[in-house]
Amino acid sequence: MRVISEFTKGFWKDIPPFRLVLGLCPTLAVTSAAKNGLGMGLATAFVLVCSNVIISFLRKIIPSEVRIASYIVLIASFVVIVELVTQAYFYTLYEQLGIFIPLIVVNCIILGRAEAFASKNSVIYSFADGLGIGLGFTISLTVLASIREILGSGTFFGMSVFGKSYLPFSFLVIAPGAFICLGVLLAVMNVFKK
Amino acid sequence: MRNIIKLSSILTLVTAIAALALAGVNTITKPLIEEQMRLAVHNALLEVLPEASGGVCVDVGEKKGELFEAYSSPDTTGLAGFAFKAYGKGYSSTIETMVGLDLNGNIKGIKILFQQETPGLGSKIEEIKYGKSKPWFQEQFKNKNAERVAVDKDDGEIKSITGATISSRAVTNSIRNGFKKIKPRLEKIIKGEQK
Repeated sequence: MRVISEFTKGFWKDIPPFRLVLGLCPTLAVTSAAKNGLGMGLATAFVLVCSNVIISFLRKIIPSEVRIASYIVLIASFVVIVELVTQAYFYTLYEQLGIFIPLIVVNCIILGRAEAFASKNSVIYSFADGLGIGLGFTISLTVLASIREILGSGTFFGMSVFGKSYLPFSFLVIAPGAFICLGVLLAVMNVFKK
Repeated sequence: MRNIIKLSSILTLVTAIAALALAGVNTITKPLIEEQMRLAVHNALLEVLPEASGGVCVDVGEKKGELFEAYSSPDTTGLAGFAFKAYGKGYSSTIETMVGLDLNGNIKGIKILFQQETPGLGSKIEEIKYGKSKPWFQEQFKNKNAERVAVDKDDGEIKSITGATISSRAVTNSIRNGFKKIKPRLEKIIKGEQK
């Protein structure tokens, strides 16, 4: 079944940001705490699924000359919807993600999937692709953020893990720590790939 | 020529539909967002003025949500302090801070309500260090006189954040300037209370 393979490729074969090295900016910036990573991942996944479906739906109507402009308008609209909804229902998450929600617009994964997949495939495959890649991105961000939060702050989703005697390795919480953590995870993935 | 008309009309259609959808979502979420913001302001008030927790805060600002009188009991007797909102232009955003004051103009607590400063640098104005429950930068303001508060680079007592002098200064100066602006009004209110 092609639908299933388009869905599952997002979890290992094409998992962002490790396999599709796109969308590194939010990956590095918001993954200092597990909660932020999960929230950012889900928000991005939602935008990705919506934009993939609608762009695939309109792929025969939108002429190729104005496609990028149309995609950006559609993606930006979904991002604003996400921003308004998180602000209305999940205010604390909205405050924590702050500037990163508007920045989903320029996440290369979303425009990348629109251009490389949704504009060439049918709605159902684009939905599967968006959901798979989106959830893969969520998992990656949550794993990366958990490692950084547990070792870097000694907490997991805000709860203390090691108790008061643990001296946190706070280097992992800052940006260079994010690069190193990402590199180590990529190396581990490459070991298993062989 | 024909092609241009076709292209622009399709693009116009796409943007029009997008605008319509956004308008719809905005109508639904607007009251909810306002309620959330009101709650956030309320919680911030309690945080910066713990004395008012058993009492009531009255909005007395010229604009809504800018200046509050805080009373230690629910029937607006026993003026305990004031709270005001300060705005400072930071590095990449206008930082909004709620400031709690006692009757002598000393800061009881501050809380950043909004900021979009550089993550990892300016955003540290809200950083909570491991094992602590409150952000260290904001804790420094406690019991300092609002009229004289300044960062260390301006010979003040507030330790600015390494690599984020602009953000640190924005918060500090907005509090000092904001206080100077409302000082005459506060004095009038206190005088009225003593009569």
